[in-house]
Amino acid sequence: LLHLHPQMASATATYGQKESSDQNFDYMFKILIIGNSSVGKTSFLFRYADDSFTPAFVSTVGIDFKVKTIYRNDKRIKLQIWDTAGQERYRTITTAYYRGAMGFILMYDITNEESFNACPGLVRDWSTQIKTYSWDNAQVLLVGNKCDMEDERVVSGDRGRQLSEHLGFEFFEASAKDNINVKQTFERLVDIICEKMSESLDAGDPAVTGAKQGPQLTEQPAPPHQDCAC
Amino acid sequence: MDLNLLQTLEKDRVLEVLRRDKQLRIIEEDRIRRMKYELQELRRRGAKSFARQYGERTCARCQRPLGKFWNSGAVCRGCSHRICSRCRVGAADWKCTVCHAYREVKIRSGEWFLEEKAKKFPVTTDKYETVGEKLLKTYNVLSHISVVPPTPPPHLDYHFLSRSGDLKNSKPFTKSMENLMVSFTSHIRKISTSQNDVQGDLLSVDNGRKASCFTYSTQKSLSDTDINKTTHLFKVPSLPNLFKKSKDSDHEGSSTGAEEETSFGSEYSGGKRGSSSSISTECGLFEGITVAGELELALAYNTSTSCLEITVGACRNLTYGDAKKRKCHPYVKLYVLPERSGKMKTAVKKNTTDPVFNEVLKYQIERHLLFGKRLQVTVWHSGSLRRKVFLGEVLIPLDGWRFEDKASQYFNWYPLCPKAESPSGGLVEQDGGELVKFSSNNQGELLKLSSLKCLQEKETHLTVRQIR
Repeated sequence: LLHLHPQMASATATYGQKESSDQNFDYMFKILIIGNSSVGKTSFLFRYADDSFTPAFVSTVGIDFKVKTIYRNDKRIKLQIWDTAGQERYRTITTAYYRGAMGFILMYDITNEESFNACPGLVRDWSTQIKTYSWDNAQVLLVGNKCDMEDERVVSGDRGRQLSEHLGFEFFEASAKDNINVKQTFERLVDIICEKMSESLDAGDPAVTGAKQGPQLTEQPAPPHQDCAC
Repeated sequence: MDLNLLQTLEKDRVLEVLRRDKQLRIIEEDRIRRMKYELQELRRRGAKSFARQYGERTCARCQRPLGKFWNSGAVCRGCSHRICSRCRVGAADWKCTVCHAYREVKIRSGEWFLEEKAKKFPVTTDKYETVGEKLLKTYNVLSHISVVPPTPPPHLDYHFLSRSGDLKNSKPFTKSMENLMVSFTSHIRKISTSQNDVQGDLLSVDNGRKASCFTYSTQKSLSDTDINKTTHLFKVPSLPNLFKKSKDSDHEGSSTGAEEETSFGSEYSGGKRGSSSSISTECGLFEGITVAGELELALAYNTSTSCLEITVGACRNLTYGDAKKRKCHPYVKLYVLPERSGKMKTAVKKNTTDPVFNEVLKYQIERHLLFGKRLQVTVWHSGSLRRKVFLGEVLIPLDGWRFEDKASQYFNWYPLCPKAESPSGGLVEQDGGELVKFSSNNQGELLKLSSLKCLQEKETHLTVRQIR
């Protein structure tokens, strides 16, 4: 599958031989991975996008992203996956990128109590930030990473599940190192974004809801058949 | 927000990521633009037919007559038009081709997401511009402050989020005008202090002035009646707005369903109602000319002369600039965006839709200044009475261009696209659109402004005098 190496990205983005293949997809989704520092966000992304894993810890500077095109539900979907720095000092940059993201992966480390406890806080803190943007509308998965390190586990699967239910997200335990549930996580996220998509389209579709239409009025009064082309 | 808290290396890392993101967005915007153009074409196709008498008994899409008993058509649940069996997509829960395509575009462009969001949180003004875009601008300017022209007007770099917005937003625009003025004057000061650098800066200052001159003229044209033109600021019109427009004009027409198509048809007949011209300035999609054909280009960068060398090879399968007389006198015009600097033109080729130019156009610019620039290549028909008709354009991002790569220096065919942003109006470019012209002569008088029309410009004129 098409993957753009960072160095290649700019070259591919220009017009050229690859130009056609570059636009050869149906949808583009933006996904953000968030969580405390060192829970394994970057590793998770690298495992998914490159199928590689490095045990060494390199702190992410600010933000980064990778692009991966997948084939799902008969559609080619281009994913722009943003990897954010967990460190507090980058918070202003990372939160600025919440906007426009259709899906979030909220990650903690099952061997790190603090990273788990931080999750509701992250949701609370960030949701204020996100409220104005897209959290409310975006799909979120809670992921407990490093599930290969069973010996050092401090956060049980049940606690993770409880939290996810409490927050209203779906839940996975995964391991970037052993490649457990990584692909599944992303695919599930893509699926629920797709579900949300058809839901939101059908809701505004007079063909389905009949004459009844329920979008809140914004500053501009909506004409009777806003969603129709005619 | 700023990156000042970070160290230089960190800053560079982040900016590098933002640049990659920008490249991706440019491509994505281009894709969306094409999709919307195709949708527009589809809508138009029905209206193209010569059958002027629309009625209940023809299909609203293909205009084929409907039978009384067989193939009598059915009402589309999306648009309530009577549609023949051929123009339907899907089985039991079918939609007409246009309604289907409209939904597809909404899905494929990601607009559904933005709309959903807008329902919950009405979009606020300045948020259109992405943070990344802002940072890129700020830091790009800071790092080359002595040479980089002022920040471009915002209409070029709007993130596609802006599509969900309303049209009344001119706030960011005026804001950037202020910035522009500030950077403009700071430029002049810079020049006056460093005489040695004057030669080197000449070019970029030139760019800067052109950029500002362009915005002034745009601002002047923003009279009350022309308020629609603010939508130039946004790259792609939002779908609802796009169709709302057509619906508004529907009300003027008489009642039957298929009537709406005539409002588009009217653009062909030269705009029988006044509003159609404003529609055409609003967005390239509405241009009366169908964009078709391809353009052959080769790009190279000459490091010894610091020139960007653009070889315009040929065009093929252009549409007729004058459809009635089936005439076409094409020529190619180049600009470097976002400043619209370095205007270059080829010669006009007479009576051909497959012109061969083989002209090398040179644009002097330092290599590192290509960052953030795009080459806008437009094809025009040079009609009678100095009327120019837009035939298509190609946008090429320059900062990611691999000039070292031999393969990229060869000729390439690019499909012509409808216009993305049309600061001088959509269908026909007016002569004398540039209100201010600058000339530089070699006595070190860098800024000799002629034919000034705006007050602000007069102020700058004064500053310039003082410097001298």
